[in-house]
Amino acid sequence: MMTARLAIEGLSKRFAAPVLKRTSLRIETGCVHGLVGENGAGKSTLINIVSGLLKADEGILQLNGKTYDPHGRKEALGLGIALASQELSLIENLSIAENILLTALPQKLLSLDRRNLLREANRMMTEVGLFHISSDTLLSQLSLAEKQLVELAKALSMDPARCQLLILDEPTSALTQPQADRLHAIIRQRAAAGLSVIYVSHRLDDVLQVCDSISVLRDGEMQLTAPSSALTSKDLITAMSGEELFRNEDHGHSESGDVRLRVKNFSSADYPDPISLECHRGEILGLAGLTGSGRSELLHGIFGLVRKHQGEVTLIENGAEISIDSASKAVANGMALIAEDRKSQGIFSNKSVALNTTMAGLGKLGSSLAAALPKREQQISAEMIERLQIKCEGPLQVIDRLSGGNQQKVLFARWLQAEAEVWLLDEPTRGIDVNAKIAIHNQLKELRDNGGALIIASSELEELITLCDRILVLSNRKAIATFERGRWSKEKILAAAFSEHQTQRAV
Amino acid sequence: MNTDRTAATWWNRLNLAFDELFILIALLLLIAFFSVTADNFFSTGTLSAILSQLPALTVVTIGMTLVLISGGIDLSVGSVVALSGAVIGVAFTVLGLPLFVAACLGIVAGGCAGLVNGVLGSYLRLPIFIVTLGMLEVGRGLAYMVTGSQTAYIGPSIQPLALPIDVLGVSPAFLLSLGLVVLAQLALTRTVFGRYLIAIGTNEQAAKISGIRTEPYLTWVLVISGLLAGVGGLMNTAYLGASDPNAALGLELSAIAAAVIGGTSLMGGRGSIVGAFIGVLIISVLQNGLAQLGVSEPSKRLITGLVIILAVLLDRWRSHS
Repeated sequence: MMTARLAIEGLSKRFAAPVLKRTSLRIETGCVHGLVGENGAGKSTLINIVSGLLKADEGILQLNGKTYDPHGRKEALGLGIALASQELSLIENLSIAENILLTALPQKLLSLDRRNLLREANRMMTEVGLFHISSDTLLSQLSLAEKQLVELAKALSMDPARCQLLILDEPTSALTQPQADRLHAIIRQRAAAGLSVIYVSHRLDDVLQVCDSISVLRDGEMQLTAPSSALTSKDLITAMSGEELFRNEDHGHSESGDVRLRVKNFSSADYPDPISLECHRGEILGLAGLTGSGRSELLHGIFGLVRKHQGEVTLIENGAEISIDSASKAVANGMALIAEDRKSQGIFSNKSVALNTTMAGLGKLGSSLAAALPKREQQISAEMIERLQIKCEGPLQVIDRLSGGNQQKVLFARWLQAEAEVWLLDEPTRGIDVNAKIAIHNQLKELRDNGGALIIASSELEELITLCDRILVLSNRKAIATFERGRWSKEKILAAAFSEHQTQRAV
Repeated sequence: MNTDRTAATWWNRLNLAFDELFILIALLLLIAFFSVTADNFFSTGTLSAILSQLPALTVVTIGMTLVLISGGIDLSVGSVVALSGAVIGVAFTVLGLPLFVAACLGIVAGGCAGLVNGVLGSYLRLPIFIVTLGMLEVGRGLAYMVTGSQTAYIGPSIQPLALPIDVLGVSPAFLLSLGLVVLAQLALTRTVFGRYLIAIGTNEQAAKISGIRTEPYLTWVLVISGLLAGVGGLMNTAYLGASDPNAALGLELSAIAAAVIGGTSLMGGRGSIVGAFIGVLIISVLQNGLAQLGVSEPSKRLITGLVIILAVLLDRWRSHS
C-alpha cells in the first residue's frame, strides 16, 4: 500500500464533552476527499487539529509517512498545509493583494516589493475569477462572496511545489454556482498535479461531484468512507443522521394553548425571505438548521433588535394584541431573549451576579429615577441563586468567575425576575457542562408547563428532539418545513435542513 | 458553609469599598507629605486657595465621570464652561438681565451644547469623541463671538457665590458642588438611571437585549454633562468676578484626569463620583502643595502628569490582583 499524504489514527479531542472519539482518516496523494456531517459532528475540530490550530488529546498524525505534530498554525503552514477557513481569516483594513500574500509578502531590502506583490496577487485573483476588481481594493469594500474568493485565493497561493494538503472549509457557502464550478475546476486541476484536498461542505451535490472519496462524521466517529461514485446524497444523509435509534419519548404534557406569539410575513435585511410562524402558550417550538441558516437572525428580528423590512410581530395576551417593533417594547411586554454569544450579548462583564440578575427587571419599576437599592437587588439575586442552584459565592461575586453553565443560569434568572412569558433562546446549552444542561432543560420544561411560549434555536438536533413540541426547519434563510412531535425523524429534519443547499445548483 | 458565604460576602464588600478607600489613603498621604515638607501648608490661605478653585472642576468632573461610565467621553466641557460664562457676562452687563436669569441662561446654554452632543452621538451614531471634539471648537468660538473676544467685568454682584460664608468658612459654590457630588453618587448607585448607565457602558448590546433603550440615556448623560459644565461656568465666573472667553482652557483634560485617578475606566462601565471628587482633591492639593514648595510651573506639570500615569498603573495592578 502506498503511503498516504495524510494518515490520521485514533484521534481524540474533548472540550467539555468528547468531540472526536478515536477517529481515523486517510487522505491519498492527489485525492480530493470530502468530509461531511451535521453541526457539531466534529469536522471543524478535525480540520483545526490538522491545520495546527488545535492540539489533539491523543492520536497519531502522519504526513507522507512522517510523524506530523505541528505546534501552531505557522509550523503547519511551513509543512505545506494550506487552509481556507469558513470564518474568513482576512484583515479588513488591508488590500486584496496584501491579504492574499499575507503570510508570504515579497520583500525588497527593508520594504515591501510592491511590483511582485501586485503581479502575484493578480495572477491568483484571475485564477479564482476576481477579474473586475483592482488588487489595491480594501477588503472591507468587498461583498461576502468576493471575500470568500479572496480567502480561497490566499489558500491557493501557496507554492504548488510546497503545498501538500489544501483544506477547504465550506468554500462555496457564499458563492454562486458559476463561481463554485470555477473553484471545482481549479481543485480538480491541482489534484491531477498531485495536491491532496480535504473538502468540507454542507452542499452534498457539490461534494459528490468534486470529490474522489467521501467520509461521513457523526458525533466524533467516522461512519463511512467510500468512493463518491458509490454514494448518493441519500446515503450521506442516512449516515449523518444515524439509525433511527434516538428516543422519541413522549413527555406527556397537556395540549398547548392559545397563540401567544404571532409572526406574520416578517423579513429583515438579515432574514430576507418572509416568514410566518406562531408559538402557543405551553409550547416549545424548535428552530433547526445548519450554521448560517438564519436562526439567530430570525430570533433577533422577532425580538425587535433589527429594523424589519415588512411584516408584523404580535404578542397576544387575553385577546389583547401588542405589536412589537423594538427590543424595549418586547421586554416591557414579557418577551425574553437569551442570545447565542453569552460573552458579547449576554453578561455584563466584571459586574456582580446581582447586577446581572436584575438588569432586565428594572424596567418594571416604571421610571428611570426610581430607586434601585443594592440591598434589594442582592436579596432578589440571593433568592434566584437558591432557586436555580447557581454555584457562586454570593450576589456580589463578579459574574466572570462563574462557569459557563452558571453564567447561563444567571441569564435565566435575569428573565425569570423580569417575569418573561415568551422566551426566545439561541443555543441555550452551548458550551456548558452536562449537569448544567440537564438543569436548564428542566427549567425550560417548567417554563412551558407554566404556560410559557418558548422558541429554541439549536444546532443540536438531539436537544430539539427531546425538548420540542414542534420543530421548524430553516435552510439557507428560508423556512422549509414544520414537523409535529411524533411525525418527525432525524433523517427528515436533516434532509429539510440540507434542502436549500442542494437545490441551489438548479437555480 | 453559611459562615463561609458571609465571610465571602464581607470580603466582596470590602473589595468594593476598597476602590474609594484606596485613593482616599493616597490623598491623605499626599496631604501628610505636604504638611511636613511645606512650612505653612495648613494655613487658611492655602485652604481657601484650594477651596475656591475646586467647585468648577468638581461639577465638570461629575459630568465627565457619568459620561465616561456610559462608555462615552465629553471633550467639550472646557469650552462649554467658557461659553456659559460668556452668556452670563453678556446677559448681565450688556442686556441688563437680573443675575439669576443670566445664570440660568448660562446653564441652559451648556445644556444645549450637551443636547447637540448627545443627539449626534446616540441617535445619529457619530463617534462621540469626534462630536465633542467639534463642540470643543464650536463652544470656544461661540464664547468669543458672544463676548466680542473681550473679558466682561461683572464685579462684586456675582462674587459672593465664590466667597466663604463667615460661619462655615466655605463658599456657597463649594457647598453646591459638594451637594451635587452626593446627588450624583446617589443617582449612580441607587437609581435605575445609574444602573442603566453602568449597563450600557459595560455592554451596549446586552443592555439593548435587556430591554434598555440606549439612545435616550446616552443623550441624557451628555445633556447632564453640558448642564454641569454650565454650572461650572457660573462658578468660574463668580470666582473671577468676570466672564473671560479664554477661561477653562484644557479643563476637560483635568476632569478626565481626576475621574481616572478616582478609578473611572475610560472603557466605560466602571467609576465612582466620590472617587472622582477625591481625584479632584488630589489634583488640587498636588498643585497647591507643589506651588508652596516653590516648584516651577514646568516641573508642576511634569509631576502632575506622572501622578496621572501612576494612578492608572495602580488601578491596573489593583484590578488584576
